[in-house]
Amino acid sequence: MTSQAIDSGPDARAWLKSTGTAAHRERRLASALTLADIVPATGFAAGLALCVHALTQGAIAQALGWIAMAVVAMIVRGFLARQAADAGIGAALRIKSDVRRAVLYDLFTGRRTAREGMSGACEGVEALEGFYARFDTARQAAVIVPLLAIAIVAVASPVTAGILTVTLFTFAAGMALAGMAAAQESRNQFAALERLSGLFLDRVRSLPVILAFQAEDRSAHTVEKASDELGRRTGKVLRIAFMSSGVIEFFSALAVAGVAIYCGFNLLKLLPFPVPEQLDLARAFFVLAMAPEVYMPMRRLAAAYHDRQAAEAAAPRLITAPAPVAAPERTLLIDAPSIRFRQATVTFGQAAPVLDGFDLEVRPGQIVAITGPSGSGKSTLLHLLLGLAPLSGGSVEIDGSPLPVEGGFAGQIAWASQAPMVVPGTIGDNIALALRGASTRQVLKAASVAGLCGDLDRMLDERGGGLSGGERRRLGMARALLKPASVLLLDEPTANLDPQAEQAMLQVIKAAAVGRTTLIATHSTAVMALADRVVRL
Amino acid sequence: MSRSTRSLSVVGAMVAEQRRAQASQLALAAAAAATVSAAAVFLLGLSGWFITSAALAGAAGSAAAHAFNYMMPSATIRFLAIIRTGSRYVERVSGHEAALKALAALRPQLFRAFAAGDPTRTLALSAGEASARLVQDVDAVQTLFVRLSSPWAFAVGALAAILMATLASPLAGLAVLLAMGLAAAGAVVIGRKAEPVGRQVQAETGLFKARLASLAGAAPELRAYDLVDWAVEEAAVAGRVLDVARADLARYAGWMAAWQAIVQGLAVGMAVLVAHPSAPALVALAALAAVTGVEAAAGLAGALRENGSARMAVERLDQLAAADPSAGTGRPEDMSLATAIFGGSLSPPARVGIIGPSGCGKTSLIERALGLRSAIPGEWQVGGCDAADLVPGSGRFLFAYAAQDVRLLDGTVRENLRLAAPGADDDTLWAALDDAALSLRFRLSAKGLDTQIGVNGECLSGGERRRLGLARAFLRDAPWLVLDEPTEGVDAITEARILERLDRRLSDRGQGLILISHRLAPMDLCNVVRRMGETAAISREVEPAQGHR
Repeated sequence: MTSQAIDSGPDARAWLKSTGTAAHRERRLASALTLADIVPATGFAAGLALCVHALTQGAIAQALGWIAMAVVAMIVRGFLARQAADAGIGAALRIKSDVRRAVLYDLFTGRRTAREGMSGACEGVEALEGFYARFDTARQAAVIVPLLAIAIVAVASPVTAGILTVTLFTFAAGMALAGMAAAQESRNQFAALERLSGLFLDRVRSLPVILAFQAEDRSAHTVEKASDELGRRTGKVLRIAFMSSGVIEFFSALAVAGVAIYCGFNLLKLLPFPVPEQLDLARAFFVLAMAPEVYMPMRRLAAAYHDRQAAEAAAPRLITAPAPVAAPERTLLIDAPSIRFRQATVTFGQAAPVLDGFDLEVRPGQIVAITGPSGSGKSTLLHLLLGLAPLSGGSVEIDGSPLPVEGGFAGQIAWASQAPMVVPGTIGDNIALALRGASTRQVLKAASVAGLCGDLDRMLDERGGGLSGGERRRLGMARALLKPASVLLLDEPTANLDPQAEQAMLQVIKAAAVGRTTLIATHSTAVMALADRVVRL
Repeated sequence: MSRSTRSLSVVGAMVAEQRRAQASQLALAAAAAATVSAAAVFLLGLSGWFITSAALAGAAGSAAAHAFNYMMPSATIRFLAIIRTGSRYVERVSGHEAALKALAALRPQLFRAFAAGDPTRTLALSAGEASARLVQDVDAVQTLFVRLSSPWAFAVGALAAILMATLASPLAGLAVLLAMGLAAAGAVVIGRKAEPVGRQVQAETGLFKARLASLAGAAPELRAYDLVDWAVEEAAVAGRVLDVARADLARYAGWMAAWQAIVQGLAVGMAVLVAHPSAPALVALAALAAVTGVEAAAGLAGALRENGSARMAVERLDQLAAADPSAGTGRPEDMSLATAIFGGSLSPPARVGIIGPSGCGKTSLIERALGLRSAIPGEWQVGGCDAADLVPGSGRFLFAYAAQDVRLLDGTVRENLRLAAPGADDDTLWAALDDAALSLRFRLSAKGLDTQIGVNGECLSGGERRRLGLARAFLRDAPWLVLDEPTEGVDAITEARILERLDRRLSDRGQGLILISHRLAPMDLCNVVRRMGETAAISREVEPAQGHR
């Protein structure tokens, strides 16, 4: 995952660009407001210059008028900056929302692994904020504002404008070079950062094992080593980044100082070379106050540069295929269908096939138990019918119709596993999730057949607090009972249950299988005994 | 949360210690930051004075122009420009380096604290919440180091600006002082308002990640019940709440920038208003010094804005790192174990089987003996000492534990096995894999023991993970082997092979066995089988102790 994140610069850039179009109005507003800043900036410089000029003329009232203009200009600048930041934040908010939805869709439909999807939806999406809220506007401003500022300076002093133009080019070239040098280091650092957060998290999650094996010291040492390495790498990146921004600032400071000195000598008429202009105080002061404005946008851009790098590094994890336009087939079959696998093969990526040339014909209404050593592909077989595992060879049919490319046969399937999902809400709410618009009566009936007796209004928290392992299994079965689907898939429905609880669960399974074609992945001999047929993988 | 006040904060103490450890670099950063502020103020102030004076001298004629000492100011201007950029570089490098070193030292310390504290606290967190604390909260602590220089930058910048303005007139100095006060007060007020939002960001990150993890684990159900769109909506809403909190925090930065600009405007206005009777060059100097002085407050504003996040992060980490107050001082004196259900004290090579309905507390009982859960006084005698009176972790050397909920490190097979036996050679590791009926799987793989198994063994099947956990427990040289459902999810033939090897292993080493299972086959290994009742504390003997051999 990490290596992938490293080499997709151009793709990432193209993706960031096209993704940004979703919020083009907000982004345009942010850019316009940032560009507009040049107006009050000019107002401030002019107000200050004219005020000082008026003071030398002894025109106090005029001077106070000009300084009032400078104050107002500065206040306008403040509000403009706030509005621009606000618009940028709004753009980022909208884009993050859109991208996150796409990533979530991929995550929940099994198109990407849980780890990839989760880090994409959280850290990955987060990395976009700086890019769209700051870097994006800073980049546009850095191209236009310096030229505008130089043009304005040219009105007062063409020579100064010339000086600024020359320094501007060296400045831009220096920035490009520094950016390139920092890019590689910064990608390495990003990879190291991901490794460390992963390692730290992993070791804390493995704490019971580490404690049980008294490996605290060794594990702390591993974390320390990785942490040190990250510190060193980050240090390197920062040195380069700070060096390049230092160079930029150095040149901008020297340029501003140069302008000050030129203006001073011009005013003193002591320049050692002939120039085609003679400045007065107002123009000189104005030029001096405007000079930093030429460099300010580029300094802001340099400061936001890491936002871009973070976004580019995260982009490969966020690029999603467009969601399918056609909704998965939802036609409900009334009667239990037949299911047929012919040479079905499932391969994830480059790995060896999990399921290789599997043949099975299930007659309508049959209960088939699928068993086999762990890792032989039992769950994968069930996931295949839900479209959560890729069919890379052969065919799968329900009642003669082939497996749809998107969504599998999900519309016709009721599902229960050993760890049903629990969402915050009542038990009744949790059951009702299985069927949109289910009536209370339907829910009650499903619950009672599943053996979930008692209070359906009991509140549950996300981790299934308040439910025993057996009750949680029954909740899953109640969902399967509620959905009017003609195929029932059960994944290890009795694992980790003691024999008594298993017997009780078998009764529920029997009830749920009535009128349906049922596939059960299981290790349990009791479950196998209940099936019409046992298939060994 | 209310417990973790500043004085009791474990993480706060760690941060303070790291601040001391990095004191010299942090001091250098602060000094450099102060130099930057001062140089910036002097640079702009001097430039204004220089231009105005030059204009006046130039206007007064060529003699005055020649008499004007331009060498000093122009050299000083260049000097200040160099000083400013150089100091800024030093400030950034040393400040961030100190923060990085501190954070690098902080992570292993936090890890040790989590390991030494009550582990149930860390383990009770959902996966998503744990990830939020260890990634986002630890990151948020960084600001506590980087921003240490901001008050110095502000104070010295303010001092320089006031000094410069006072050159024009003492009243102008007062005006700048007032402006600096306004700038700081505004930063404090906005920072206060931002604090709850910063706290919210840290908390919402945890909630969002937890929600995400629980929904992601239920992909088949989401698919089967046409809930994918619903789940996307649920998670998107939780993400949106986090985004909005972050955006609110970012907006406070906008307000801070706006306030700074407003104060800059007021500062320059006030400075000119009160200084105008002085020489125009000095008025220019005061005006420009006032503008730059206020800029020195920017760092302070940023630090105050991040306060909420940093404080909340420390509190959240504290909840995990706080020391266990119930720690005892006893140590085990022998290898015996006793608890009510054993019906007396047992020592290796005894083999005890514990059966009972699911949810009756078999696993919790065992984990309390191992010190993985808080002990209940009187429940366990470990090595002749009440488990509740033991120094935390001091009884663990007695056990080699293969848990029901197998946890594997993200690394290679070798790393996982070496966790139990740091010095073991490859032959020993392969032998343990053989006994767990897992060696074939890795002998066939090109990388052998160097095969990467992924996060918590995600590249392995459920049964393979369980057997790797088993092989790991085999490798630990401890008096008692504790196996919790060792053959769940393993087919019958493999189970038989594992149990046969296990029997031989135990006999060869004279190791004791505590075996929890609801399957009957493993119980044949045990010479004592006990049944746990419906409630954890009650146990009754249903099967008499049966000799295995």
